[in-house]
Amino acid sequence: MSALLSLVRIGAGYGANEVLRGVSLDVAEGSLTAIIGPNGHGKTTLLRAISGLVPLTAGAISFAGRPLMTLRPDEIVAAGIVHVPQGDLLFPEMSVIDNLQMGAYLPDAAKQMRARLDEVFALLPKLKERRSQIASTLSGGERRMVGIGRGLMAGGRLLMLDEPSLGLAPILIDQIYDVIWELTRAGRTILVVEENAARIADKAAQVALLDNGQFAWTGQGAELMARPKILETYLGA
Amino acid sequence: MDVLIQIIASGLTLGAMYAVSTIGLALVYGSLNMLNMAHGALLALGGYVCWYAMATLGLHPLLGVAAAMIVCGAVGLVIYCAAAQPMLGSANFETQIFIATIGIGAIIENVILRLFGPQPTPQPLNLTGALVIGNVHIPHQNLLILGVALGLMAALALLLRHSRLGRAIRATAQNREAAQLMGVRVGFVYAQVLALSGALAAISGIMISSLSGLLPNMGGDPMLKAFIICVVAGLGNVYGAVAAAIVLGLLEAATQYVLGVRYSFAILLLLVIAVLIWRPYGLFGRKQVVRL
Repeated sequence: MSALLSLVRIGAGYGANEVLRGVSLDVAEGSLTAIIGPNGHGKTTLLRAISGLVPLTAGAISFAGRPLMTLRPDEIVAAGIVHVPQGDLLFPEMSVIDNLQMGAYLPDAAKQMRARLDEVFALLPKLKERRSQIASTLSGGERRMVGIGRGLMAGGRLLMLDEPSLGLAPILIDQIYDVIWELTRAGRTILVVEENAARIADKAAQVALLDNGQFAWTGQGAELMARPKILETYLGA
Repeated sequence: MDVLIQIIASGLTLGAMYAVSTIGLALVYGSLNMLNMAHGALLALGGYVCWYAMATLGLHPLLGVAAAMIVCGAVGLVIYCAAAQPMLGSANFETQIFIATIGIGAIIENVILRLFGPQPTPQPLNLTGALVIGNVHIPHQNLLILGVALGLMAALALLLRHSRLGRAIRATAQNREAAQLMGVRVGFVYAQVLALSGALAAISGIMISSLSGLLPNMGGDPMLKAFIICVVAGLGNVYGAVAAAIVLGLLEAATQYVLGVRYSFAILLLLVIAVLIWRPYGLFGRKQVVRL
């Protein structure tokens, strides 16, 4: 299977501060890939670089055979990469339903608004209950669901989730990950950034450990769990 | 009773006029955090273009208004492309664009001065006659201004609430990065906001000049009042700005009648100080962030 998303030795950063150095990664269609690693080592920057929010300083990114480096963020969304950002970044003064509809802003997604909305409500029934509530008044868990639901509204071929468990109580994390497993079973291509390796490693087809802007280890999830040394060194687990 | 009706009638006209000049300013601030100090010059430009189209070219009044909206919208676009866009990424965007637009405003005012001269000129787009209720005279022009202003505000509300562009404007104002991740082309939205604000400034300038005549620096006073209204309402809050504009218009009309014209601006400023002591982020503003 050829890779849907392919990063070749990319570098990226903010001004003189280079966060990523020579990162390469292939994401196969229909698979779940997890980027793990300690905080502040470039996981979020990696997703932001793929989305075009952080300029590349080196390397190449291609998606479905097409180079992404010269595209604006909105063109990258249109190409099929959906990014659910860290901290949700909802539209705080819009209702839940308006937030979801913003997810289907692009014409292709807007055409399928009805059907997608039904899918999202089936997957995240809580959102249907809260549909007219203003986003800024939601609880943390509900906000996370709106963020993910809004991403699903966009459709796309690759779904990138930045720390979907961040700041949530364990029971809510379980709920969010149940949704992710369900999407994986349905054949979606997903790239998840997660600090807690144990949470995701056994389910992911591929795990990449990002340390200090470089991949320190890449391999299958099950393999990682069998290597306590790596877990201990990088993740303190 | 007659006095009261007169005050309400002229207060509403003033308020509606202020509202139209304020919404353009509020829309731009709400979207880009950009205080467009050239807004006043755009008002004057709109008034002059309409006058030129009607008096010199002999065009129909509606064409005059359309020409003014197009020219001012285009200038708004130029302000975005030439000044705002190159500065957008910089850390001190708000200060830089504030100063840059003061310069742009001065350029526009001086172009008007060179082209059309410093003498006051009447605005030809002006209805004659008046509606007489008992002893109260309400000029048709005031009614026209009120009607157009209400229509414009309703149209803008519809645009913001229901159109694709309106949703993109609100989303961008509430969270720029999230809007980008939804596929909104943010630069394009900003450009359209500046153009829209320019077109609104043109209409406002025509309204103001139809009552008080054209002068190259005629935009200064309404711009100042629009700014005050924005601050009172909470910067960037479009709906709040409309409400505040109408209240301040009524207040101004009442002060002018009761205390005399010279006190009206002082009273206005006094009120602003009081409001800002009571609610530093404006009447309808939220703490810190203000949104559409």
